[in-house]
Amino acid sequence: MFQHLKAIWKYRYFWLSLVKMDLVTRYRRSVLGIGWSLLTPLAMTGIFCVVFSTLNGSSWRDYAQQTLAALAVWEFLRNTLVSGCKSFLQNEAYIRLSPLPYGIYPLRTVMGNSIHFLITLCVLVALVAVLGSVYVQPTIWIVPPAILMAMLFGWGIATVAAFATTYFHDVSHLIEVSAQAFFFLTPIIYPPSLLYNQGLGWLVEVNPVYVFIEIVREPLVSGTIPSWDRYAYAGGLMASSVGLGFGAIGWLQKRVVYQL
Amino acid sequence: MARIELKDINVTFSLRKTTKVTLKEYLLKGLFLTSVNPVVAIHALNDLSLTLVDGERLGVIGHNGAGKTTMLKMLAGVYAPNSGTRIVEGNICSLFDISVGFEGEANGWDNINYRGYLQGETPRSLKKKRQEIADFCELGDFLNIPVRYYSAGMLVRLAFAIATATEPEVLLVDEVLSVGDLAFIQKAKERMRQMMRKSSLMVCVSHDLASVKEFCTRCIWMEHGRVKMDGTPDEVVAAYVASIAPIANPTPLAS
Repeated sequence: MFQHLKAIWKYRYFWLSLVKMDLVTRYRRSVLGIGWSLLTPLAMTGIFCVVFSTLNGSSWRDYAQQTLAALAVWEFLRNTLVSGCKSFLQNEAYIRLSPLPYGIYPLRTVMGNSIHFLITLCVLVALVAVLGSVYVQPTIWIVPPAILMAMLFGWGIATVAAFATTYFHDVSHLIEVSAQAFFFLTPIIYPPSLLYNQGLGWLVEVNPVYVFIEIVREPLVSGTIPSWDRYAYAGGLMASSVGLGFGAIGWLQKRVVYQL
Repeated sequence: MARIELKDINVTFSLRKTTKVTLKEYLLKGLFLTSVNPVVAIHALNDLSLTLVDGERLGVIGHNGAGKTTMLKMLAGVYAPNSGTRIVEGNICSLFDISVGFEGEANGWDNINYRGYLQGETPRSLKKKRQEIADFCELGDFLNIPVRYYSAGMLVRLAFAIATATEPEVLLVDEVLSVGDLAFIQKAKERMRQMMRKSSLMVCVSHDLASVKEFCTRCIWMEHGRVKMDGTPDEVVAAYVASIAPIANPTPLAS
């Protein structure tokens, strides 16, 4: 594992320049360019605001902030998994060319998605300043570690998914469908109290996406810090995801090239 | 000090006749379905043993499908052997599949960066080489357009220029000299000579028997993943040519 990290560091210029290129080419022919990254979550939030905010009684100002925060985290983790699972297939040319550490390819995806995630969070900070009761929540300092935890968690699941997809191409479709189902299981467009009232509170508590939503959203939007056992749960998820990622690399790195 | 030592190397590809195995087939395997898509094992390298020391230039010849390219990729570390030990000391530069792995949307300059970093360069070391690469490939203003608009020949020029800008100890070459226009081939050959002088070990796969004789100090003839003959380039090439002579020199048709 240590060797692998060293190799990833050695080739940092390679994957960092690819991340930069992905960013530039993604919007190369569009008029708004990276503006789409800002606009998409805002538009989504707007739509959900119009449709749902009357249903659950809270004010639309509050609902908009809560939903944008939850969407930002959700979209980041979902996109990391959905695009990350194809990362070996898409980088096949490099894999066949040179024995680079496999962790690089999911990292390329995670870093690309992280940039969009951070842009969305900047929009969120601006939205809080406009709609919220204070300009900046004083608890904002605890958000960056939470973001880092979400990124590492994303890298782990993307790595495992990338190996699985290389062996079984069906996995990428399974992930897409499951993600769709998971979106409705996660309290994103509705408040978690809805599930608690149904006696399904445990679903909220074990939900691996919701815990990352909590540790990003609460300090940023509500100005409260979630209890430490939520952080412990997120940390545990992150550690096991990264562990699984390295485990998969160690187990399959010499064999996966024969499956491409 | 560069060194290559291979002992009883086996590389087997398990391929499927049609597509990949599906998740369904994997899960239901042996339950009640017999596989409609059985695994075909291809033994690409068969108990290959080889020792190369500093200063040797090895030429590898043989029919298509004899395992030559697989051997190079195994030497480069892309394919891990199924069994056997592989020791390669010294930093490796591989010149195979050089025209794949370009980022089509990015322009030539950016691709010089990606390839350079891929070969372990840093922004500082690459800065000096960028102009040198651009001069060598003679692409001029074409370097400013995305490489997906390049012709195959232009791509090879760029790839060759980047790949040969490093100073490797172990050089692995696969049929790169048979591409590009005539002027570029001359230039590339000169560059290859320079590189071979600098690198301490070379393995070169080629169907161009004349250049094997010209460049190499030792030659192996591979067949079905095994070394069929090992010796000086002159004798191995002569034996190889003799083995295919009946096909290569057909008896003239009666007029």
